[in-house]
Amino acid sequence: MGEIYVDGARCQGHARCWALAPETFEIDEEGYGKVIPGRENSGDELNVRKAIRNCPERAILERSDDEAPAKNEEVATS
Amino acid sequence: MSTEAERGIADNKPDFDFHGRALDNIFDEYEEILAKRPVGHSEKYGGFWYIAKSEDIFNAEQDPDTFAVGPSMILPSFGTDVPLIPIDIDPPAHSDFRKILLPMFTPMNIKKLEPGMKETARQLAEEVLSSGEVVDVSAKLARPMPTIIFSRLAGYPEEDWPIFDRWIDEIIYERTAKPETAYAAGRELNDYFDRLLDEREKAGPDAAKDDLIAQLMKAEVKGRKLTREELLSYCYLLFLAGLDTTAWAIRSALWYLAGNQKAQQQLRENPDMIPGAAEEFLRTLSPVQAMARTVKTDTVVQGQELKAGERVVLVFGAGNRDPEVYEEPNEIKIDRENNRHLAFGGGIHRCLGSNLGRAEMVIAMEEFLKAVPHFERANDAEPWHGVGPLTLKIGA
Ligand code: HEM
Ligand code: SF4
Repeated sequence: MGEIYVDGARCQGHARCWALAPETFEIDEEGYGKVIPGRENSGDELNVRKAIRNCPERAILERSDDEAPAKNEEVATS
Repeated sequence: MSTEAERGIADNKPDFDFHGRALDNIFDEYEEILAKRPVGHSEKYGGFWYIAKSEDIFNAEQDPDTFAVGPSMILPSFGTDVPLIPIDIDPPAHSDFRKILLPMFTPMNIKKLEPGMKETARQLAEEVLSSGEVVDVSAKLARPMPTIIFSRLAGYPEEDWPIFDRWIDEIIYERTAKPETAYAAGRELNDYFDRLLDEREKAGPDAAKDDLIAQLMKAEVKGRKLTREELLSYCYLLFLAGLDTTAWAIRSALWYLAGNQKAQQQLRENPDMIPGAAEEFLRTLSPVQAMARTVKTDTVVQGQELKAGERVVLVFGAGNRDPEVYEEPNEIKIDRENNRHLAFGGGIHRCLGSNLGRAEMVIAMEEFLKAVPHFERANDAEPWHGVGPLTLKIGA
């Protein structure tokens, strides 16, 4: 997986990313998520994959594949 | 122009409802509509189209220009016809109002409240334990906990708390059966906040107070203070959104655990599983089963035409059991990992209190499981939904 980022236009501040992968995501003063600088390449880590799958706004995207939600997006598993 | 019959209104689901006793068997209803008629028309509450599939609900929430919240997201109304801020406000004004309180509800800010929440939950759980063998934990824990936590955050004086449950019961739970009662209670609630705001104004800005009311009173939108009407509307909504939902969420979690000893024991032994379990209870037993929108421009969902001006209900509770999204959607699995659910809605109106609601739910479960070594249902007739009694047999 390429570099990940939080799309500010989609993010609505559910903070699931931070709850599931605090080592990769931080939350700003208004509650919106962003990737901690230096952690853009953690997209393959288990916690980060969980965050991607659980983000209600599908706001965690992959840079190489712009505009498409990051992987695992549509998978209906549990 | 297509006729009603051509558009399928005539033979739709005229009785589809998502309130009160209709919730008793709603999960069977969801299964049926998800399989057979994911968009359909009901005659209830003046008529509305329901949208049941997760993806369709998501898309509607991402498109507030087509699916607006005005005149109100709340159907039937919460004892008032005044648009409630921010829930009933569309862009562009919506974000100005919402921004005022966003910083108060970040997870970091909610974390600061956690020691107080734990203490409150612990005390309430111990009172349950010392109240005998059969106890109504809705009255003893699920309802008082959010009343105490949220009232402190909001700035409602403690001596006023005893009246809150009645207002909630009348405005939220009797609004279909007795709308006049709901509106009368709504007027009482509005007058209450009018008096409270008068008192706060008289007392002047108090540096020690940083509660929600203080934030609202000092906030500015577009360079001006909020009017009294706006303050009243915001206070009214926060009261109804902040207390009842969380009480239901806590009650429904305890309802489930009381009927499932294995899950109960698992969480008692592994408290780190509680946050994940809370997500699963929110997905399957959420206090907000549906919210309304109004179609702004003609559109089509699942092949069904929806016309400008028509009311639409996004059935979060059905979307949360959509088999295209969840494996075995009707099974409550406390360790479910992929749980992107709709319990807090989404898009620009995402529940402002989601971090608080979650924290209260998790802490209530943690402290209750810690204090009470065993509990089971004492009355199987009590439904999964609402904030009515939940009588449990409390045991050693
Ligand atoms: C478990 C508890 C709760 C649940 C399940 C819940 C659920 C919801 C839902 C479904 C919405 C509508 C979102 C939409 O239509 O997209 C909403 C909106 C809202 N909720 Fe909650 N809620 C809970 C607790 C709270 C608490 C504790 C507060 C405290 C302030 C709160 C404040 C709000 C507000 C202000 C809105 C309107 C947001 C807006 O329009 O921008 N909620 N909630
Ligand atoms: S979970 Fe998604 S919507 Fe929520 S803060 Fe993180 S990126 Fe934003």
